[in-house]
Amino acid sequence: MAIAEDRRRLAVRLRWLRAAVFVVFGVLSGVFWFLQVVQHARFQEMAANNHQRTLALRAPRGVIYDRTGQVLVENRSSFNISIVREHTKDLDRTIRLLAQVAGIEEPKVREVVERHRREPAYRPIVVVQDATLAQVAAVTARRLDFELPDIVVQEVPTREYPSQALAAHLIGYVGEASDQQMADEGLASGAVVGQSGVERVYNKMLMGADGARRVVVNSVGREIRTLDEMPPSEGQRVRLSINYEMQRAAEDAFRAYGYWGSAVILDPRNGDVLTLTSLPAYDPNDFSTGIDRATWAALNTDKLRPLQNRAIQGRYSPGSTFKVLVATAALEEGVITPERQIFCAGGGTFYGRFFQCLGRHGHMDLRHALEKSCNTYFYTVGDMLGVDRMHQWAVKLGLAGKSGIDLPNEIESIVPSTEWKRQRTGEKWYAGETISVAIGQGQLSVTPMSMAIMMATVANGGTRVVPRIVTGVDDGLGEGWRDVPPPASPYKPFLMKPATVAAVRDGLWMAVNGSGTATRARIAGRDVSGKTGTAQVISLKGRARATGSERDLRDHGWFVFFAPRDNPEVAGVVFAEHSEHGYLAAPIAKHVMETYFAQKDGVPLPQLKVPAPPAPAPAPVPTAPLRTGPNTAGPER
Amino acid sequence: MFERRLYFHIDWLLIAAVFALCAIGLAMIYSATGGPTSIYWTQIYAIGLGTIAMLACVAVDYRSLGDKSHLLFLAMVLTLAGVLFIGEVRGGSRRWIDLGPFNLQPSEFAKATVALMLAKMLGDTRRRALTNNDLIFAGVLTAVPLLLIARQPDLGTAVTLLPILLTITFVAGMPVKYLGAMALVAIIAAPVAYQFGLQDYQRERISTFLDPEQDARGAGYQQIQARITVGSGGVWGKGFTQGTQGQLRFLPVAHNDFIFSVLAEEQGFVGVIVALGLYLFVIMRSIEAARLAKDRLGAYLVLGVLASFTFQVVYNITMSAGLVPVKGLTLPLMSYGGSSMIATLASFGLILNVRMRRFTN
Repeated sequence: MAIAEDRRRLAVRLRWLRAAVFVVFGVLSGVFWFLQVVQHARFQEMAANNHQRTLALRAPRGVIYDRTGQVLVENRSSFNISIVREHTKDLDRTIRLLAQVAGIEEPKVREVVERHRREPAYRPIVVVQDATLAQVAAVTARRLDFELPDIVVQEVPTREYPSQALAAHLIGYVGEASDQQMADEGLASGAVVGQSGVERVYNKMLMGADGARRVVVNSVGREIRTLDEMPPSEGQRVRLSINYEMQRAAEDAFRAYGYWGSAVILDPRNGDVLTLTSLPAYDPNDFSTGIDRATWAALNTDKLRPLQNRAIQGRYSPGSTFKVLVATAALEEGVITPERQIFCAGGGTFYGRFFQCLGRHGHMDLRHALEKSCNTYFYTVGDMLGVDRMHQWAVKLGLAGKSGIDLPNEIESIVPSTEWKRQRTGEKWYAGETISVAIGQGQLSVTPMSMAIMMATVANGGTRVVPRIVTGVDDGLGEGWRDVPPPASPYKPFLMKPATVAAVRDGLWMAVNGSGTATRARIAGRDVSGKTGTAQVISLKGRARATGSERDLRDHGWFVFFAPRDNPEVAGVVFAEHSEHGYLAAPIAKHVMETYFAQKDGVPLPQLKVPAPPAPAPAPVPTAPLRTGPNTAGPER
Repeated sequence: MFERRLYFHIDWLLIAAVFALCAIGLAMIYSATGGPTSIYWTQIYAIGLGTIAMLACVAVDYRSLGDKSHLLFLAMVLTLAGVLFIGEVRGGSRRWIDLGPFNLQPSEFAKATVALMLAKMLGDTRRRALTNNDLIFAGVLTAVPLLLIARQPDLGTAVTLLPILLTITFVAGMPVKYLGAMALVAIIAAPVAYQFGLQDYQRERISTFLDPEQDARGAGYQQIQARITVGSGGVWGKGFTQGTQGQLRFLPVAHNDFIFSVLAEEQGFVGVIVALGLYLFVIMRSIEAARLAKDRLGAYLVLGVLASFTFQVVYNITMSAGLVPVKGLTLPLMSYGGSSMIATLASFGLILNVRMRRFTN
């Protein structure tokens, strides 16, 4: 009985055990069902994040050509060394080891890492841009040894400017997108975008689309294999209106003659910018791999302001070149005829004050007045014309306001009017002020670009062009170059009277080819027409006061021109800082024009012949070009 | 000793299920270690040795084993004590005895010995009801090897001795109120034990279990990765050798403690259900063997052996899903581990033994 009782109890308790086991296994399968079926998607994503890494493949930016097909900007391969913190066990150790292996300063690495600390851990932090081959080799070896598995070496296309600083202000430079740019344009962190010049304005075209490569990594971050790859697509190729040889000729000539300054040369028929230079310049290559702090600080604090694009951001007093405008305006307004004679006795008295001329020219008509740059003639004509009509014509010819070129941060050129003065100072315009404005002094302040526009308008007989830089685009889809039409000019074309055009052209032609001031620009058979000008940096009174200061107070020289006289093909300006005389700017223009004609005729390009031993760059007195505001130029001359 | 007619009473289905689990485990080891490595071959040898041990355990009548249980128990206690002095130190603990070609982990064999000892002691009792003295004596018998193993230290294996004691005393007639009382004491004692009874690393394991994210790179890492491994398997799994978590070593010791996670990843929910089904079948079939056993010794022996097996299976599978703190407990029959494999197969030899001899005298 006891045995039977015993058996019964055992059976009951075994049933309990069975039930317990069933319940436990039921719960277990429920758990696995929940994890593997219900929450599968979530865990699958986490597993993918674990072992998959997406590496961005940077798209090369579009190549930039000049109008003749010469490459201005291209790409080269460089190596970036980055830290991927995702699998980093000890970031401190990684940084220390990397700094030591790559031979870089540890605090710098730390600083870079700190700056990107908040970004997702899978995103590589670029620590060394443009690493040397020795660095790449050292790091790669350690990486394979599992010492630095969290370091990535990536080959990336990097912007290269084969002609270095040539046309630097026009082409611009690239750099890592700022926080603002990332937000505005929806760019990824570390994206390289144009920060200046064409690189910036046409950034969208040039940028292309980054690709991506998905790779499988193991638990220490080592790449096992590639899952798939989406190749990057290169940015669109862009053809500029710039003529490489002319650009080169201009910059060579500036250096050879020892001046800083700016040159802008347009095709007056359509507004193509053939040359745009501003010197001193910077080397955009310095920016391509992230400019270092010292270089950036040096560029910013340099008194010569190499970052300033003088062509559109420098404003200077036009000096005698303004006479081109006064002549055109007076003829068009019918104030004078070209044959009207004015007597020059070495100056004239207007409104109770004597205004000086640089010579005693005697009887002058317009042509000879332009040739000799006779102040008395233009005092008189300017007085007859009045400042407001000068202003109107400055707007019409493109000397006042902005040119509308597709480059960032252009500033306005100022040609005063009575209205302008009232708004600015609340004072009324004095008739005496008009007299000095008539010869380009006083409250006149213009950019080289606006001067070039004026010359183009005079050269083409009345069509104010909008300068353009990009003439063609190739989107790489196999259709080849697509021409970009010139921007529609928002200005109403006006026909200048043939008599006006002929007289002004003659006068400017005589200035170069007669016994004028610009004979240094003469090219046999090319009928160069032009006008020199000298821009006062400081008034005579101011000069006396500023003696002994560090500033370079020598005057600037202008030369505005077009060629040939009939049916001009080039028009523009050379602005030579502190050259003291306009005629010293003329040879630079001559060299560029000779280059243009030689290229056109298919003959060897001219060699630069510098008659006098060139003064080395005006280094002895390194000063900033002074902006000639309304207060610096006095009426005395 | 091995009578011919006994042959007809061997539980072939149980044997088939046990070796099916071994085969699944072997395949997962192959996958997790990336091919026929030395680990894979060691496991094959272990299965071979285990089969021999199993045969040996089937061959000897369990009753004669029971008669010698006190000697076996004494030998086991002495070995465990010896391990503490002459054992191989690995990973900070002394668990292994160097036997030349391989290392033996005596604690694995302690389970079956304790089960045999307790079964003999409580199964032989002629009294109708279990006395408190019996319970205390059983407790002491379990505590001796438990403490010795805990000293190695190997808390995981030590704890597997407790289910043996609980199950055998339960079926031997321990009053249910005692179970309730024990549960109550456990609940009250847990915080005290947590504060004073555990080492720092043990406390850390428990606290990261409760919130694995607090230390996602350190102690909580394995738990999080285990869950990702299991969850990413889905219904059908990623396929044999196609798992990313195990293959790319996001999950540590995948061939050992986390072999079931690898199975869940590569074979999916379907594979999990198959394996769980096999384990459930093995357990139910063994309980059936206990029910059919000729005597209490046989029934208690089967249940004692089965208790530690079941506890380990359930704990390890729950751990594979990242639901309990990570403990160095292997999955019997599937995980890599020679001593564990041999001891487990030997203990199934005992279960087969009891069932086979249910009609003999």
